[in-house]
Amino acid sequence: MDPLEAIVAQIQGLSSSSSDIARLHTILKQSDDSLRSDSNRLSPILSLIDPSIHSLGFLYILDAFTAPSSSNQPQAEEVVPIITRFISACSVEQIRLAPEKFVSVCKRLKDQVMLLEAPLRGVAPLLTALRKLQVSSEHLTPLHAEFLLLCLSAKCYKTGLSILDDDVFEVDHPRDLYLYCYYGGMICIGQKRFQKALDLLHNVVTAPMTMMNAIIIEAYKKYILVSLIRHGQFSTSLPKYCSQLAQRNLKVFCQSPYMEIAHAYSTGKVADLEAFLNAHADKFESENNLGLAKQVVSSMYKRNIQRLTQTYLTLSLEDIANTVHLNSAKEAEMHVLQMIQDGDIYATINQKDGMVRFLEDPEQYKTCEMIEHIDSSIQRIMALSRKLTKSDEQIACDQLYLSKVGRERQRYDFDDYDVPQKFNI
Amino acid sequence: MDLSAVTAALELKSYNKVADILDNLMLQVAADGVAFHNDWPYAIHLLSHFYVHDINSARFLWKTIPSSIKESKPEITAVWKIGQQLWLRNYGGVHEAIRGYEWSQELQGFISAFSELYTKEVFQLLVSAYSTISIEDAALFLGMSKDDATSYVLQQCWTVDSSSGMLTVKKQPVVTEQKLDPRKLQQLTEYVFHLEH
Repeated sequence: MDPLEAIVAQIQGLSSSSSDIARLHTILKQSDDSLRSDSNRLSPILSLIDPSIHSLGFLYILDAFTAPSSSNQPQAEEVVPIITRFISACSVEQIRLAPEKFVSVCKRLKDQVMLLEAPLRGVAPLLTALRKLQVSSEHLTPLHAEFLLLCLSAKCYKTGLSILDDDVFEVDHPRDLYLYCYYGGMICIGQKRFQKALDLLHNVVTAPMTMMNAIIIEAYKKYILVSLIRHGQFSTSLPKYCSQLAQRNLKVFCQSPYMEIAHAYSTGKVADLEAFLNAHADKFESENNLGLAKQVVSSMYKRNIQRLTQTYLTLSLEDIANTVHLNSAKEAEMHVLQMIQDGDIYATINQKDGMVRFLEDPEQYKTCEMIEHIDSSIQRIMALSRKLTKSDEQIACDQLYLSKVGRERQRYDFDDYDVPQKFNI
Repeated sequence: MDLSAVTAALELKSYNKVADILDNLMLQVAADGVAFHNDWPYAIHLLSHFYVHDINSARFLWKTIPSSIKESKPEITAVWKIGQQLWLRNYGGVHEAIRGYEWSQELQGFISAFSELYTKEVFQLLVSAYSTISIEDAALFLGMSKDDATSYVLQQCWTVDSSSGMLTVKKQPVVTEQKLDPRKLQQLTEYVFHLEH
């Protein structure tokens, strides 16, 4: 009997119970190489097996069929519908037995739709795929980054946002996290959700790492710009928990023009900042950050007006225009109006006298809505705290950790440092 | 391509649901490999994003529309003109763009609903941002003639000073629910107890 026919028979025979599937998995692993060498004969087989019942077998054959090394690689137009159909039909239990295979097939779908210049075709299937693959909503799969990349290419930023609300707790590979946060940051920038973007980019920059990588450097560049837009300032010192490598190298890599634009911003002069941007526009453009850099400049007007609210109670529109270097009182009025609309400041404009009165935040923190909000924050923090305690306990029992700590402890014997307590009364 | 869900939502005037329906539908038909660009209701799709204040999504959608379609369907470009004015926060320009095109039958209801919503929101903005405003500016913001604007705001208890042409804004007291559910109090007590012990 032809080995290929034998495999098909096995797949069809062994797909009912979980012990059958485990046996099938062993067989498939053994025959993976022969499947790959026979890849040009696999196309008709795919129509013989049902992707929803024989998901595991289908996955192995599909992986061999679409492997880039195969002699006559199938056309994108042929592959895309097969993978799409498989993703929507496959059984969750079976594909989780071979997550690497599933990820590699999904990555090929991404490559193929990019090749067809139709990234939109891959967005929905990849979302389904990552939901099927993840064990819980806290699990970051390798597909997250691929999905976000497709969303960026297809300009479906809103769809991308849908997975960014999940809190990540479990990560398979560090690279997944870097890319997820980097692309996620870009999605949030596109939707002008700068605080969320800042959080995500911050996660990349401060993530543990053993080697410098390009993702972190690019993330840091965007982090500088978004920080200026969101907070009007940028602190050059990185937090202590940031890796040594990042602490030492990031500033060097991003010195010009990113650290410099942060410096130009700190002077508070729009004209200087604009001149700086014009001088370095090429550099920003070549690194795809020009749009963001321009938003930094326009955010400065806002920042300067906001600063005025801390000094003055009332101020004429004319004076606002002069201090923040706007052309006319009308332009200043429009800026103030927009900031009121966005909730950036609290003020009322008096057109009759040409004055603006700055007000305090009217929120009195006693509405039901606010209490609901505070309550949900407390709940969230409590859940987080529980989670931290749990993982702390887990690490404390971890064999690798204990053996390392054990070695250290020998070097610094605890008793050596046991100073008698002098201030005991 | 089954657009019945969209038509149903439009008929029920659930305009704030249209954007999500169309977004999901687009992902679905794209995944099925359907060549949808020619028949896609881009004008409604753009407008549905405006309606829920998601100008960013509208902006990205506009970028994905093939240029041949932008050229052959002037109504899509006309809708996008509204979007441009919204993006620039040119309040008067939005009203102008709405009035500046002869909208087709299927779009008319949605456009006038959006126009109504927008006028209402701009009015709320004026209430919160101004203590006095000239009749001229108020008319521009609300997209009405001076007389219409004056009578519109007078209904909301504003006062007019005809010699200076200034309107005095009447702030509406904001009514918020402040009565506390006793269970909440119980919960807070438990938190504090937990922290202290």
